[in-house]
Amino acid sequence: MRGRLIHTGDLGKIIDYLRRDYRVVAPFEGRGRDSYFDEVTDMNRDAVAIHVANPYYPPKRYVLPHIQRILTISAGQNPAIEPCAQTEKVAVFGIRSCDVEGIFHLDRFYLGNTYRDSYYEQLRNNLFIVNVACTDIERDIDEHCFCVCADAGPAAKAHFDLQFLDLHDESGDFLAVAGTPAGEELLAQPFFRKATMEHVARRRSILNEVRKHFRISTSWYSAATRFITHGEIQDSTWKKIGDRCLECGGCSYVCPTCTCFTVADRPTGPDTFERVRVWDACALSGFTRMAGGHNPRKAVHDRRNRRFFRKLSHYFIQREFTMACVGCGRCVRVCHGDIGMPEVVEILRRETVAQEQA
Amino acid sequence: MSCTHDNIYRPAIAILDEVRDEIKEVRTFFWHFDDPANEKVFRAFMPGQFAMVSIFGAGEIAISLPPSPTEDRLFFTTRKVGSVTAAMHDLKPGDRFAVRGPYGNGFPMRQYEGRNLIIVAGGIGLIPLRSVIIYALHHRAKYEKIQVFYGSRTPKDLMYLENLRQWQADNGFECYLTVDKAEGDWKDNVGVVGSLFKKPGVQMPVEGTTVFVCGPPIMFRFVLADLQKMGFQDQNMVSTLERYMKCGVGKCGHCCIGVAYVCTDGPVFTLEQIRKLGEVI
Repeated sequence: MRGRLIHTGDLGKIIDYLRRDYRVVAPFEGRGRDSYFDEVTDMNRDAVAIHVANPYYPPKRYVLPHIQRILTISAGQNPAIEPCAQTEKVAVFGIRSCDVEGIFHLDRFYLGNTYRDSYYEQLRNNLFIVNVACTDIERDIDEHCFCVCADAGPAAKAHFDLQFLDLHDESGDFLAVAGTPAGEELLAQPFFRKATMEHVARRRSILNEVRKHFRISTSWYSAATRFITHGEIQDSTWKKIGDRCLECGGCSYVCPTCTCFTVADRPTGPDTFERVRVWDACALSGFTRMAGGHNPRKAVHDRRNRRFFRKLSHYFIQREFTMACVGCGRCVRVCHGDIGMPEVVEILRRETVAQEQA
Repeated sequence: MSCTHDNIYRPAIAILDEVRDEIKEVRTFFWHFDDPANEKVFRAFMPGQFAMVSIFGAGEIAISLPPSPTEDRLFFTTRKVGSVTAAMHDLKPGDRFAVRGPYGNGFPMRQYEGRNLIIVAGGIGLIPLRSVIIYALHHRAKYEKIQVFYGSRTPKDLMYLENLRQWQADNGFECYLTVDKAEGDWKDNVGVVGSLFKKPGVQMPVEGTTVFVCGPPIMFRFVLADLQKMGFQDQNMVSTLERYMKCGVGKCGHCCIGVAYVCTDGPVFTLEQIRKLGEVI
C-alpha cells in the first residue's frame, strides 16, 4: 500500500479537481443526526461533511437510480425503440466503506452473471469512488452499525478509487490510498505529500480502536447462513418474523445491496412512451402477483423469508462473492417492526438452536 | 436485435400478420420480425422457452412459445387475463409490437432422444407443450413411443383443434382427448385427464420415459398423484413454471424461487427440482 498524506484543508481541492470532469456528490449535515448526499456546488462546497452519520438513502442510486429511463418508444405505423444512454459521470466523495462493498455486490450481480446490464455498466464505468473510512466514533458510526460483522468496514479493503482515513492527530492530516489507476493518478497531484510507515501503523491502530466501539459486534451470520442454506428454519420462526413486518418496503429502499426492480411504460405524448425501471421490494404483496390474481407468496412471512434467504443463503454468497448485506445498519434504523438484519439473524439462530435442543 | 448482449432490455419490432380465435378469451397471434436478421437469431429457440413481448403503451410480459422451431410461422397464444394481454387482444393484423428473446432453458429435447415421451396437458397448458409435440413429431425417429393426453373443460375449450384432428389421425403416435363435461356431439372420453390413463388399451411405459405435465394447479396435483402411483419418478417428470417477470434475464428479481430464477434457470424444471426449490407450486 502506497500511502500519501493530505491536509484536511486541502480535501476541498480534491473536490474541485474532480468537479472538472464529474458531477461530484458528497454527504451534508441535515437536522439532528440527519444527513444526505447532494451535488456539490460553489455554494455548498465548504459545507461538505467528512465525519457525518451515513445518510439513510444509499449512494447506490448513482449506479442504479430509483427511477431510470431505459428506452424511448414511439408507437404507430413506423415504431422505433431507442435505448437511453446513461452518460452522466458521477464522483461520490465521502462514501462509507459499507456502501463501497454494496456497490461491489451490485457489480457482481449486474455484470457478473449470464447477461450484462448495459445501463448499470455505463453508470458504473463513469463512477469515481472516494471512500472515507469511518474513524470518528461519535459521528461516523452509531449503535446500529455492524459492518465489522459483515467484513465490510470500518475501512474498505478494495473497490474504491481513492480512500481517505483521518489520522486524528494535531497535524490534521488524512492518509490517502489509491485502489485503481484513476485513483493513483489523483494521488500524483501536488496537494498530496509523502507518508511514512509510521502513518500506516497509525492507520492500523486507529482502525483497531474504532472496531471496539461497534455496539453490535456479533451478528451471527454464519449460523444463520447455515440454517437457511440447509432449510433448517421452521415455518413458525418465519411467521414470527413475518408478523412484525408492516410491508412498507423501507428495508429494500435503504439497502445498498438490494437489486430488484419493476418496469413500467409511461406515456410522454400521444403516441410515445418511455420505459422506466423503478426500484421494487420483495416485501410488497404485489411483487409476485401474476395476471389473473394468483400470488405464489401470499403470506407476509413468505415474503420476509425471501429477503433473508436471498441475502444469506450460501448459493447467492458464492454466486456474488459477497453476502448481500454489508452491515450498514440502515434496515435496523428504518424498520418499524425491529426486524433489521442483526435482529433477524439473532431470531433465526435462537429459535433454531432452541428447536434443535427441544 | 432481439437478444443482443449490448442491451438486454431492447426489444425488436414485430408485425402482426394474422389473429385467430382459439377458444373463449384465447387467441393466437401470427407475427414476424420487421428485420429478417432478428428473425434468424430468434429462430434458434427450443420448445419450452419464452419471449418478452411489448405491447406499446401497455407494457411488457413473458409469453411462452407454442410454435416448434421446425415450423414456418411464429406465433403466440394468450388468454386475455391482464392489462397487457387485453391490449394484445385488441391488436389487428398489420399492427406493430415488439419482441425480445428467446429466453429460458427450454426442454432438453436432445437429452430425451431414445426415450418415450408422454405429454399430459390440461386447458391452456397445451400452449407450451404444443411446441414439444410438433418438435418430437418432426424428429419422430429419434424418440420411442409418443403419447399425448389432453383434457379441457368442454369440447369448446379444446385448443389447437386443427392440430388435434391431425394428431388423432396420425398413426405414428397416440393422442387421447377428454373433456370434463360433454357437449354437442362429443363421443370421446368424459372425465379428468387422469381418467385417460386407465382407459382400456392405454399402455404407459414407466421405464425410459419422460413425462411432460402442464395445466392448471388442481389438474397438476391430481395428475402427479396418478403418475406417482403408476411408478413414475420425480426426475423423469418435467413441467414449466410461470412467474411474474419483468426482465426475463435474471435481473429484476420477481420470478426467483429459492435459489432459482425461473427466467434463466427455468422455466423448465423436473419435479425433483421443483420440490427442492421449496416454494409451493
